[in-house]
Amino acid sequence: MRQRSLIAITAALAAGALTLTACGSRGGDKGSDSGKGGTTVTIGVDAPLTGDLSALGLGIKNSADLAAKTANKKNYVKGVTFKIEARDDQAQPSSGQQNATALVADKNVLGVVGPLNSSVAESMQKVFDDAKLVEVSPANTGPALTQGPDWRTKKVRQFKSYFRTATTDAIQGPFAAQYLYNDAKKKKVFVIDDKKTYGAGLAGTFTDEFKKLGGKIVGTEHINPDAKDFSAIATEVKKSGADVVYYGGEYPQAGPLSKQIKAAGAKIPLVGGDGIYDPTFIKLAGADSTGDLATSVGAPVESLPSAKQFVADYKAAGYKDEYAAYGGYSYDSAWAIIEAVKKVVDDNGGKLPDDARAKVTAAMQNVSFDGVTGKVSFDEFGDATNKQLTVYAVKNGAWAAEKSGTYTG
Amino acid sequence: MGPVEPGEGTRAWDTPDPDAPADTPPRQLPRDGRPERHRRAVLAATAAVLLLAGGGYLYATRPHQLPRPAPEPAPPPYPSQVVDVAYLEPAPAQSGAAPRSFGLTVLVSVTAGPPVTVTRITQPYAGLVLTPEPRPPLRIAAGTARKIVVTMRVTECGKVPENAGLPFLDVTLRNTRAIEVHSYILGSRYAHALSDGLHVACGNDFR
Repeated sequence: MRQRSLIAITAALAAGALTLTACGSRGGDKGSDSGKGGTTVTIGVDAPLTGDLSALGLGIKNSADLAAKTANKKNYVKGVTFKIEARDDQAQPSSGQQNATALVADKNVLGVVGPLNSSVAESMQKVFDDAKLVEVSPANTGPALTQGPDWRTKKVRQFKSYFRTATTDAIQGPFAAQYLYNDAKKKKVFVIDDKKTYGAGLAGTFTDEFKKLGGKIVGTEHINPDAKDFSAIATEVKKSGADVVYYGGEYPQAGPLSKQIKAAGAKIPLVGGDGIYDPTFIKLAGADSTGDLATSVGAPVESLPSAKQFVADYKAAGYKDEYAAYGGYSYDSAWAIIEAVKKVVDDNGGKLPDDARAKVTAAMQNVSFDGVTGKVSFDEFGDATNKQLTVYAVKNGAWAAEKSGTYTG
Repeated sequence: MGPVEPGEGTRAWDTPDPDAPADTPPRQLPRDGRPERHRRAVLAATAAVLLLAGGGYLYATRPHQLPRPAPEPAPPPYPSQVVDVAYLEPAPAQSGAAPRSFGLTVLVSVTAGPPVTVTRITQPYAGLVLTPEPRPPLRIAAGTARKIVVTMRVTECGKVPENAGLPFLDVTLRNTRAIEVHSYILGSRYAHALSDGLHVACGNDFR
């Protein structure tokens, strides 16, 4: 009887152990189950998810989502599951402010990624700051958002809850001016902007530097952001004798503007900032856009091994929209929030404290990690310490990197 | 319908054998003639072996235990991603220096990866010639830095910017991964130092 029991027990144990082992091996391929309990932390996302700029906004949303999923898969913050709550601001400041209020009202939200537009950010900053809710923009480049309206002469931080991973137009505009004047040998520029915070600001920093270098501004114009017919301005550009057009604004207008300028007989490049650095610009501008230029934040993807991993993971995740110009910066923005939450949880014995929002905001100032776009950390104004820029040119129907620079001042 | 009755040649297992003692289970020889107890032991052992074999098969063939090829070593970083260039200070004037020239000291450091060689340093303005000292190529290992004095000599005051806001140096870098020309925008201190040097060199001769 004893021998029989031993055999039966051995068999049962072996079967049990092997069953468990086999089950464990299969479950491991899916990674950790993100919904295994504990605390759920929501990362809000605000971006234009519909309308003309949705190509950029959807890339922001998906990239932040990828960061949350990656953190869950890695069980990066023990006991915490991250989820995304994305809201559509339609690139409108009023919608952005409503979204900010709604995100503040949701107590699970401990950080927000976004927005895309500097003008939208202006309407959201105070709402978040009053609630001590941290905001990390992957795309705002207006210098005043961090350094105050008098940033040229006296930098003053505006909100302790506002951070950004993208560099600013205080660098982007002059970088474009230096490239056009020195490398592309352009001396006469026609400057156009869309009167918005981003576009007018970028055109301003470009113009200042281009003049300092000795270049001539042969004409200036402002367009209505809703307009699509620029034939009158195109004719004016042609008459001005400009050898380049600089446009402060975004691709929905920049594309048709470029096309109509060429159609008017001015075979000169249109140059813009990160707001036109999207494949949609090339589609809208047509075949004559070859030679048009854009500066954009960051180094080219192919020069960053970490970005290659991001591109592969984004593809594997199956998002139907491109990650677009700000994908890497959006992933890093979300990951910065995840790092800050981790710091707060670790410092509080593995649990979120009652005043988690304020603590996460405070922790953000000292966040530092190797992200998709390089080293991610913030200076005393909440600006990214990593300030890289790249000039891209339209070649064979796509954007191709021409030259990169790093601001080290 | 009534209960199923044992048929001819069959026997209910729980029917006591009237000839056997009350607490002894009925003895019945299996077809192979071995005792029942022995047969159960063999069955259990066979089941265990089958389980072990089946489990072992599952264990051996589970996906994540398949031998994986060793991960390929990560390629070295692009040189521009591991090189910092920072402006330090104006360089002391050298005796015998060319007229209308001045020096600015920069620090080139390599943070990681294989050594990086600085093969060229230039600046973009037409009326200015730059000479670095020490002369490139300069090999710099990770975790180390080299001070380089860039001497600017003005050849034509009309072709240099009087007060550029964000002037930069173009530095050609090489490591085992790539050769790159990268712009280093050295910030407002460098811009002021460059502007001061140009003002001293050119006086009022700017365009």
